[in-house]
Amino acid sequence: MNEPVLNIQDLSVSYQTERGPLQALRHVSLAVPEGKIIGIVGESGCGKSTLIASIIRLLAPNARIGTGAINFKGRDLLTLSPEAMRSLRGSGISMVFQDPMTSLNPVLTIGRQMADVQHRSRASRTEKRARALMMLERVGIPDSASQLRRYPHTLSGGMRQRVAIAMALMTEPSLLIADEPTTALDATLEVQIIHCLQQLQREFGCSILFISHHLGVIAELCDEVIVMYAGEVVESGTTREVFLEPRHPYTQKLLECDPARIRHRTRQLPVIEGSLPNLVELPRGCIFRGRCVQSIARCDTERPALSGGQHKSACHLLDTAS
Amino acid sequence: MSALLAVRELRVRYPLSEGWVDVVHGVSLDIERGETVAIVGESGSGKTTLAMALCGLAPVSGGEVRFNGQVLRRDANHRLKPDRKRVALMFQDPVGSLSPRMTVRKILAEPLLIHRIDSRDPDQEALRLLSLVGLGVDFANRYPHQLSGGQARRVGVARALALNPELLIADEPTAGLDVSIQGEVLNLLSRLQREMGLGLLIITHNLNVVRHVADQMAIMYLGRFVEQGDSQQIFTHPRHPYTAALLSANPSPDPDAQRHRIQLVGEVPGLLHRPSGCEFHTRCPQARAQCRVSFPELTSGAGKQVFNCFFPMDQVHPC
Repeated sequence: MNEPVLNIQDLSVSYQTERGPLQALRHVSLAVPEGKIIGIVGESGCGKSTLIASIIRLLAPNARIGTGAINFKGRDLLTLSPEAMRSLRGSGISMVFQDPMTSLNPVLTIGRQMADVQHRSRASRTEKRARALMMLERVGIPDSASQLRRYPHTLSGGMRQRVAIAMALMTEPSLLIADEPTTALDATLEVQIIHCLQQLQREFGCSILFISHHLGVIAELCDEVIVMYAGEVVESGTTREVFLEPRHPYTQKLLECDPARIRHRTRQLPVIEGSLPNLVELPRGCIFRGRCVQSIARCDTERPALSGGQHKSACHLLDTAS
Repeated sequence: MSALLAVRELRVRYPLSEGWVDVVHGVSLDIERGETVAIVGESGSGKTTLAMALCGLAPVSGGEVRFNGQVLRRDANHRLKPDRKRVALMFQDPVGSLSPRMTVRKILAEPLLIHRIDSRDPDQEALRLLSLVGLGVDFANRYPHQLSGGQARRVGVARALALNPELLIADEPTAGLDVSIQGEVLNLLSRLQREMGLGLLIITHNLNVVRHVADQMAIMYLGRFVEQGDSQQIFTHPRHPYTAALLSANPSPDPDAQRHRIQLVGEVPGLLHRPSGCEFHTRCPQARAQCRVSFPELTSGAGKQVFNCFFPMDQVHPC
C-alpha cells in the first residue's frame, strides 16, 4: 500500500488563555491516502479550524503544539523551517476557503490573480495566461478569455468559487484542503461544485481534505469520513460505514439531528442536549460523556481510545458489546 | 380579516451609471398570523433585498405593502415605514449584527430605550428575554465576541422579540449553524410562534429546513417568484422546472441514495442581462422556442400553488 500523502499522528494543540491552556486538539491521528477524498465532520468548536491551521502552520500566535507529528510526503511539517513551509503552501498544499468573496482580492482582475499564483514558475507571461485559461475551462467557466479581465464582484457566487478552485489547483498540489467551500451556495450550485471537485480530483489525482458540516455533501463527495467532537477524533471509516452503521453515540446523534434524514415533516427537530465541554478544564473520562444517553460507569474515569480496524471509534460501549 | 402582511407587485431597483437594475422585480405574497412563509433561492436572487425592503431598509420603487390591512407609506427616501415595534428583523450574520462594544444586556434593552417604552424596566426585560430564548442570566454581561454562533443567534432572536412584534423576518436564521444547534434555533422560533402568534418570514437556501418548518413557500429566481404555494404541495409536486431542479439537487446524507438529478446547464444570468421571454429559459432543460420569446403568465395549480411556466412538470417528486 502506498504511503498516505498526509499522516497526522497524536497531534495535540492548545491555546494559551487567561484561564489557562485551552486544549483545542488532543491526540488526533488521521491519514489522507493518495488520491482519496477525506471528509471531516463536526460541529463548531470541534477543532476543525485548528487542525487545518496546524497542517498549513498558520496557527494563531497563542497556540502551542504539544505533541505529535504531521507527516506530508515524508517530511514532518512541524519541524520545517518557516521558509520551507512557505514554499510548500500553495504549491504542495493548496486551500479553498469558505467565502470566495473574501479569499479573492477585490481590486485585482481574475487574470492578474491567476498569474500571481504562478509566481514560482519561470514561464513567460503568455504561457501563464494560457495556463490560467486552460484551468478556467477545466472548472467549467464559459468564455474564459473574457473572464480574465473581470473583477471578482462581477462574477456569480458559484463562478467565484470555481475560480478559487482553479487557482488552488493551478500549481498541481498533492493535497487540497477545502474548508466548507459550498456553504455560501444554493443546492444546484452546491452539486455543481461537488461534481467539479470530484472530476478534478480524478484528473489531477490529488488528495482532498474536505471540511463541512453539511452531512449530505460529505455523503455524496467523500470516500472516507472522520468525525470530530470537542478536539478529538471519535469515529472514522468509509463513508458508507460511518453513515449507515455509525458506532459512536455522538455520530449517531449527529446523524439523527439532520433534518434531511427525517422523512416525516416535524415542527420539533431533534437536538443534542447539553453543550460542549469546557476545554480549559477538561472533564475526566470520555469527552462526550456529559451529553451521552448511553454512558456507563467506566466513561466517567477512563478516556476511550480510538480503536477498531478500518472502521474506528472511540467508545467503551463497543468493548462491552464485542 | 385581512392578512398580517400583504405584498403586491413589490419592486426594488437601483440606479446605475446608465439605466437601472431591478433587484426585486414585482413579487406578491401574503403572510397570515401564526404562519411561516419561506423564501428560497440562490444567492443574488433578491431574497435579502426583499427582506430589507419590507423592513424599510431598502428603497421601494413600486408596488404596495399592507400590514394588518393598512397600506405602508414611504418616506422621502422611498423606503417603507413599517411600525418597527410590530415588524422585527433578524439579520443574516449573527455576530456581525450585534454591536461589539455593547454587552448582551445593553443590546437587549436598547429597543425599549429607543422606543421609549417606560412601562417595562429595561434591565429586567433583558433578563426576561434571555430566559425566553434559553440563555442564563450570566450571559447578560457578556460581549458578542464571547458568544458562540448559536448563542449569538439566540441573542438576535431575543432582540427581535423585545418589542413583542407581530411579524418576524428572519434572514438565513440557520446559516453557518451545526445541525443540532440549527434544530434548537428552529424549535425556539416554532415555540415562540405558537406562544405569541407570530407571523414568520424565513429567508433561506436550506431546503431541509423549509420542508420541516414552512407552511407556505416561494421560490425566487432573478428577483421574481417563479413558483409559490403550500410547501408540502411544492415538495411533492413541483411544477416549475427550476423548483424541480432545486429539490432534486438537495444533497442527501445517504451514501446509497439513488439520485435522479435534473441537470441545469449554464450560469445564472446577471440582473443586468435579463433573458428574453421566460427568464429561466437559458438554463431550463425543457425550454422550447416559445419560452425564448414570451413571458409565461401566472398559472394556478392545485390549491394555492401558482407558477410561471408554459410547460410545467407533472411528475411526482420522490421526496
